[in-house]
Amino acid sequence: MNINIVEDENAGTVGSALIKVMSLFFIGIMIIAFTANPISVGTNEGQRAPDIEGKFYNGSGWTEFDFSSYFNTSWQEGDVSGQWVAIEFMDTDCPYCQQSADEYGQYANAFSVNNADWNGPHVNFLASATELSIQGHDSDRAEIEQFRSEYNHNFPYIDDIDQDNMEEWGIPGTPNYFLIQPDGIIAWSSSEHADEKISDAILRLVPRESV
Amino acid sequence: MSSNVLVAVYLIPTLVGFLIVSPLGNSVTSSLADRFPSLKTARGRLLSGLQLISLAGFAVSTQTLWISSKISEGGSFCSSTSTFSCDDLLGNSKLNVDPVFGLSWGLIGMATFALLLFIVFVLKQEPNHPLSERFINIGVLTTGIGLLVIGLLVSYEIQEEKICLYCTTAHIANIAAFVGFFRLRRLHEKRDEWNKS
Repeated sequence: MNINIVEDENAGTVGSALIKVMSLFFIGIMIIAFTANPISVGTNEGQRAPDIEGKFYNGSGWTEFDFSSYFNTSWQEGDVSGQWVAIEFMDTDCPYCQQSADEYGQYANAFSVNNADWNGPHVNFLASATELSIQGHDSDRAEIEQFRSEYNHNFPYIDDIDQDNMEEWGIPGTPNYFLIQPDGIIAWSSSEHADEKISDAILRLVPRESV
Repeated sequence: MSSNVLVAVYLIPTLVGFLIVSPLGNSVTSSLADRFPSLKTARGRLLSGLQLISLAGFAVSTQTLWISSKISEGGSFCSSTSTFSCDDLLGNSKLNVDPVFGLSWGLIGMATFALLLFIVFVLKQEPNHPLSERFINIGVLTTGIGLLVIGLLVSYEIQEEKICLYCTTAHIANIAAFVGFFRLRRLHEKRDEWNKS
């Protein structure tokens, strides 16, 4: 029986170089794996909410919005002291947003520390106002201010007329709601629970002090 | 230690490597040649410089991937209101991954510099390896494609009006490696020079 043995005197060079480089690569990956616990950024439940940028109106003027200031990354699940965030992506000219505006304002008052009947943590309500690319949906800051005042809302409205935040969040249409944990993780989104209102989601998910 | 000072740990070896692979390499390393005999030849200098650049590039790429991971946890590393704020770029979920496969730029950097290191290790051990010419061409091609990627990433920095010093160090390492591999290819074409020991 003939056995053909292929000899490659250079194989050892490539092999040893490959072992060195692969060792280095895996050491790098292992350092990252042991020292970091990454959470993907996105708009699905369990993902970290993307940033929201732009100016916001709180009743007195337009100032720079700092979304990260709402979150505390050291918050632990079940902790009743952390403040939650409810955000609505809306268009002042969208009929569905107009229909739900009264209700959204009532929720903002109900799930607040100023409401003695609410025994849970404060829920910060926000609205990101865009201008949908539909005829007759032209908008501007004056219209946003007027909308906020018309429905007696006392929470911030963020200017997203350029649709930047809407694109970043991948919002298909308005209104669209999200409930975000105090650590910035999305707990609930209306697109994943079409049959559940945000108020029901708050009652279901937000921890409350036992009576 | 400030995060912008820490970047010097990666930047200094990258710049030293860049000097060694540049045409100034001979005069810069002449005083060290007795201590490090490999620096006596042009091939030895280029490979030593490339090794330093690739190691620094690999390390800084690992650091950028780590920063991206820490930011996604909710932490911050080099957040700043000034122009030099790498968190704004490394923490941007749309910009910190490649637009085709969605792979983190840090991971791509690690893989790229690991490939360059592999080529350098092979050429250091066996300069006349049958695949040496192909390896050098792969090095030139990889770092050449890297130049296009740098153009894209710099456009992100301009768009965001922020500069990520860690990313910039990795970019410098790629440019330095391109110069090194380009000069290595020219040297490889001159067989007498290449085989000097």
